Amino acid sequence: MATLTGTAPAPARPRRLLASRRTRAGILYALPVVVYLLVLFVYPIFSTLFLSLKSTDGSLTLHWYADALTGVNLSVLFTTIRISAETALFSLVFGFLLANAITRLKPLWAGLAMLIVVVPHFISALVRTYGWIIMLGDQGLVNQALAHLWVPGAPYQLLYNEIGVVIGTTSVMLPYTVLLLYGVMRGVDRRLLAAAASMGAGRVTIFLRVYLPLLAPGLASAGLLSFILSLGYYITPALMGGPKQTMIASLINQQVMKQNQWNGAAAEGVILLLLTFAGLLLVKLVSSLGASRKKRSAS
Amino acid sequence: MTEFGVATPSITVAGGRPATATGKSLSVVSVRKTYGDVVAVDEASMEIAAGEFVTFLGASGSGKTTTLMMIAGFCEPDSGTITVGDRDVTRLAPQKRGLGFVFQQYLLFPHMTVHENVAFPLTLRGVPKDEIRRRVGETLEIAGLSGFGGRKPRELSGGQQQRVALCRALVYRPPVILMDEPLGALDKKLRDQLQVEIKAIQQELGLTVIYVTHDQEEALVMSDRIAVMRDGLIEQFDTPRELFERPKTPFVADFLGAANFLPGRVLQNTGEHTVVRLDQSGSLLNARRHDLASGTPVTVAVQPGRIRACAADEGFCTGTVETATYVGTLVRAGVRVDGGDASLLRLEVPAGRGPVTGERVGITADPDDVNLFPTEQGG
Repeated sequence: MATLTGTAPAPARPRRLLASRRTRAGILYALPVVVYLLVLFVYPIFSTLFLSLKSTDGSLTLHWYADALTGVNLSVLFTTIRISAETALFSLVFGFLLANAITRLKPLWAGLAMLIVVVPHFISALVRTYGWIIMLGDQGLVNQALAHLWVPGAPYQLLYNEIGVVIGTTSVMLPYTVLLLYGVMRGVDRRLLAAAASMGAGRVTIFLRVYLPLLAPGLASAGLLSFILSLGYYITPALMGGPKQTMIASLINQQVMKQNQWNGAAAEGVILLLLTFAGLLLVKLVSSLGASRKKRSAS
Repeated sequence: MTEFGVATPSITVAGGRPATATGKSLSVVSVRKTYGDVVAVDEASMEIAAGEFVTFLGASGSGKTTTLMMIAGFCEPDSGTITVGDRDVTRLAPQKRGLGFVFQQYLLFPHMTVHENVAFPLTLRGVPKDEIRRRVGETLEIAGLSGFGGRKPRELSGGQQQRVALCRALVYRPPVILMDEPLGALDKKLRDQLQVEIKAIQQELGLTVIYVTHDQEEALVMSDRIAVMRDGLIEQFDTPRELFERPKTPFVADFLGAANFLPGRVLQNTGEHTVVRLDQSGSLLNARRHDLASGTPVTVAVQPGRIRACAADEGFCTGTVETATYVGTLVRAGVRVDGGDASLLRLEVPAGRGPVTGERVGITADPDDVNLFPTEQGG
């Protein structure tokens, strides 16, 4: 539809376009995709949007948004953003270290290492979360080990607080960042690093001025991906966090399951969607800003 | 353009080299490198003067690239020493040697502009910003790239990218610039043009350049001296003219001059010639004096362009013209020599006076153009 309006300077044009056989065949080919998108994306999104704007008596209202952006609900929103950002940061850092280590391995070992990173992802998140709960409890493996090593302060509280949630979500997001970064790192021409060395650059300089900039797009997309995935993540924060770590997905769950409050949940959902868009926009903005700054400095 | 930033030491070099050289001398002494059982480079030694353009020429696997990599510091020799100027760099890491390197694949940093690429080695050396701007501008101008500073490498053609890579290697005036088949990825016309440009820049700035290629013509066009390498050994290290006219081994004669080889035996040494009796025809041939004992089995080498057709039964052998190919200014002819083996003797004669297929011709050559190699040498 967009193409028709976009290329129609005169009103007679769409008619002629529709009349041509190629256009008709094209529409026929596009039909499955259009139907798919309409049923599975456009309809749900617009019905959610509509639901979020509907008051109990059926009239249009912003009441649910006001509700979602005040008091406890607002702090849940901030918690969600904070935990997602922390998760993105940690999964980026650990993902970077892991992927970097794997690129240094021989192909066979690298394949094996990737398998070890990815296989946990095939196991249900619920099972993995319970695994973490067992590991991180007061009598769990981690605290037992720390206590035996006479680490002062052990056992630590590693569950039902933000540490627990971030450990859990990071472990879930890690395969994504490792896979993404590994691909990007493999794509970096190692000879560029040798070229930099031949010109007199030391390891740190090569890393900061050649390697990292070459990885920057990959780092941005990996960070953004884990941030966005964390925003709507439900199981791990719900099971490993305390009341202070309630995230927006848990809030939606509560509203629907306990309060039967669909309108409020819809508003939260729309806000979640907008947050995701905001994240995408931010990355786009930062990268285009960087590009224009470079252009100006060069001319 | 001789004023290129800081004052450079003024040295007088014989042989028409520039008086102001930014390059330094380089010496390689008995360098050896093995990979497992394979000897990649065997006891290679050479002295390269400041401001000299030296080419390592050889087929792949001849050890030319390995030698270059050892000079660059990307691989370490098993034994021997490498000295730049008067500094032993044998065990130094590449970044400590301060040499310039131009790679076949350009290897420009894709995330930097042309200006940033060329400025990169200068920023590493803490050169002030104003001076970086000035020197990068000057260098880009030398390479004909003024106005390209703001572009990204991917926006340039292959030839332009390689010019940028060259700028990046010479902007910090390294004592020696190493080039590993820098024109290998370019088409013929562009290659010819860049050969001349690189040579001109090298002479103008007095750079010491070590250049690796497998292309004889490229080596002849650009080099002051060429090291012909085979199987890890330097067969001969000489000026292009010497290599072409006075090859020391049959390999060099074949590789550079595509010489014809004929078996024979030394008969005697006269005042200025060595007389050889050819095995195939039994006829006598005067060669340049070689001081070989009479009776020594030799291989006679003479280049296609240095032999002439004459009347049959004159000259050192006679044969029938079997092929004659017109290639513009020349006719390439193949002559089946009477009593010879299956291979044809190759001739290059100016077009117009060329022999025709089926013609009976005699073959003659100026004794000075005939080289002899004792047969046991080189195989």
